[in-house]
Amino acid sequence: MIRFIMKRDGRKVAFNEQKISNAIRKALISVHPDDEITVADEKIVLKLTSMVVADIEKELPKTPSVERTQDLIEQAMIKSGLASEAKNFILYRQRRTNARTYNADLTKIYRDLTSKSTADMDLKRENANIDANAPMGLMLRFGSEGAKDYVKRYVLRPEHALAHARGDIHIHDLDFYLLTINCCQIGLKDLFKRGFSTGHGFLREPQSIQSAAALCCIAIQSNQNDMHGGQSIPMFEYDLAPYVAKSYIKHVGKVMEICLRREQMDISSLKSFCNELYEVKGTLLDKEAQQKIQEFVEQELVQLGSNDAKADASYVMMESLKLTQRETYQAMEALIHNLNSMQSRAGAQVPFSSINYGTGTTAEQRMIMRNVLLATDAGLGGGETPIFPVQIFKVKDGINTKAGDPNYDLFRLACKVSAKRLFPNFSFLDAPFNIKYYKEGHPETEVALMGCRTRVVSNDFDKTKEIIPGRGNLSFTSVNLPRLGIEAHGSLSRFYTSVDRTFAMVFEQLKDRFDIIAKKRVLNYPFLMGQGIWIGSDKLDPEDYIEDIIKHGTMSVGFIGLAECLKALVGKHHGESSEANELGLEIVRHMRELTDRHTQETGLNFSLFSTPAEGLSGRFVKIDQQLYGKLTGVTDRAYYTNSFHVPVYYDISAADKIKIEGPYHELCNAGSISYVELDGDLTKNVDAFEKVILYMKQCGVGYGSVNHPVDRCPVCNYVGVINDVCPRCGRRDGEGISIERLRRLGVDCSCFD
Amino acid sequence: MQSRLHAHNGVVGEGVKFERIRRVTGYLVGTLDRFNNAKRAEVNDRVKHMHV
Repeated sequence: MIRFIMKRDGRKVAFNEQKISNAIRKALISVHPDDEITVADEKIVLKLTSMVVADIEKELPKTPSVERTQDLIEQAMIKSGLASEAKNFILYRQRRTNARTYNADLTKIYRDLTSKSTADMDLKRENANIDANAPMGLMLRFGSEGAKDYVKRYVLRPEHALAHARGDIHIHDLDFYLLTINCCQIGLKDLFKRGFSTGHGFLREPQSIQSAAALCCIAIQSNQNDMHGGQSIPMFEYDLAPYVAKSYIKHVGKVMEICLRREQMDISSLKSFCNELYEVKGTLLDKEAQQKIQEFVEQELVQLGSNDAKADASYVMMESLKLTQRETYQAMEALIHNLNSMQSRAGAQVPFSSINYGTGTTAEQRMIMRNVLLATDAGLGGGETPIFPVQIFKVKDGINTKAGDPNYDLFRLACKVSAKRLFPNFSFLDAPFNIKYYKEGHPETEVALMGCRTRVVSNDFDKTKEIIPGRGNLSFTSVNLPRLGIEAHGSLSRFYTSVDRTFAMVFEQLKDRFDIIAKKRVLNYPFLMGQGIWIGSDKLDPEDYIEDIIKHGTMSVGFIGLAECLKALVGKHHGESSEANELGLEIVRHMRELTDRHTQETGLNFSLFSTPAEGLSGRFVKIDQQLYGKLTGVTDRAYYTNSFHVPVYYDISAADKIKIEGPYHELCNAGSISYVELDGDLTKNVDAFEKVILYMKQCGVGYGSVNHPVDRCPVCNYVGVINDVCPRCGRRDGEGISIERLRRLGVDCSCFD
Repeated sequence: MQSRLHAHNGVVGEGVKFERIRRVTGYLVGTLDRFNNAKRAEVNDRVKHMHV
């Protein structure tokens, strides 16, 4: 006999069976809201009520709680095959919970944000690149948490909100749901040609590599303020090369002035001569062009009264090249410094920036690449490793993969720099899924990467625009694969059914999100759309809707924890057994077929993403531990393994890891990355490093990088591997050291107060 | 990140931690302190792939 029930606030009140019947009755009516309750319904109500009461009695003498009773009602409905009734009941519960907790959840988050330190609060470290200790970072979190709460309660369909809350799926960047799209690959060429405006005042076309590099940073910063994800420059060396030539022309004129001891010389004829030459040849710095320029300069010098025009001309040529070289280095150095210090989003973070380069072979393009690598190698002011931009070196046969190729020297340099600074990463244009878009002489068809892995190239909305610049990802949502694996209880057919169902729900949710943003206008994105960065936006007016042009973007379904999913399904992950690997490939191939089919059906670009999972790495597994306990190899760690990666804790050779992960790259058309972990010392061996990178290429990897520890001692500025003791100053972590001793070691001590 | 170090009685660096730059899921981060709990655990669990 049940006497009491515990209410949510802890009060015990008399148990009333009628209330259970009422709840069940409401759920039954909910599937046919226009009709009266039937006799058959009433029978079911009676049957279910007695089932629930019996279940509660089994748990006596424990006083039943309201929540527990509702769980039992849910279970009774599912057991009796009333699927849609149960679904409605679950949604009803969710709505009630929403109404009840309105304010309470958010208020608690706000209170914690202000009272707890970053070290104590995981939420404050959700994004490692935002400092939530600082006022603007905190302000951003306030806004972000408020927006998320609103979107979850009032914007998402209840079933999507529930799936997100329960951890079946994760809708990324919920705080920006009503505001903007994810990321963009910025083409600088047209932007610079036209000149642009960032709000106050118009910026004319840059006239030197130094100002072009500065404007490149401003473009990244401005665009990031219109979007919620990262910004990438896909054709870095191509877009900036013309400005190296402009700098060069200036330097030639300047050195001529110096030779002739003149000021304010008119160099317009030199300018037009060089501009024409550049127009025809695309370079001023190769042998042939240099020859022509030298002849021209010599003639000019004769006319202007040089005593030894021949000698002066060769001096001019030598000196102006040197000056151009130096200016380019300084421009690249400034670019890297700027991208690590300039702020976006109300000062809360530096822009998430990426630059792609590697295939340009003109002297100007090579000068840019060489110098950006050298500046990265040198590090920031205190020798620190630059965190931004993410640099991606495009590896391409015939251009940079073997001795004799025009850019092989730069590939070697890239390996050397990456071994010290973790960047550049390497992308592989010869991979079959990349080469099919590649058109020689059209760098806009060279696949580029954004941020940590996003890739946008195919375009089913408009096949004539299968290009990189001006396009990006609109949004993505990730699926909790391990949970689907656990819930399948060993049945593959059940597993695939739930994958299909989950993907269908995610497609619906992504389209909902698309529809919200589609109703925005060009004027809502003053830089991204207003300055014509996004493809097609240059032809629209400020009041126009962006619906049609954002169809060039992608919507992606991501996944996490293939390894744990396989463990749950067959007891082994893909690193451990080749059968498991076969199954892993089959699963990912199946998911890709789903996104491909949906793309064909809708004409919109849906793609499969190997989610980076910055904040997500721990979220799903935390919920799953509560639901299923600690299952060995599945839920027993604090994180789920990234996308299709072989688990980080699993002992495997670099070659095997690359070989296993390679084939997955082709399937994840929204982007993926493979890492291997190498020792800090091995990376000093550039040959070995190069071998690893080329092995990735051979194994079908689309994008890869090598991880190795990069430590720095802020006291003596040592950069390298530091175990317990700094190899340079002998200090332990947090230990003090006397200035005298530092001086003896030759450390510059002028900066200590 | 600390930018200026103060000397106390001719000693510098007390309480100053080594910077440990790592890449876990995607972007580099200048210090492990800013990683969330899950990513810290992942860094700790990593094994190196030493045999090429």
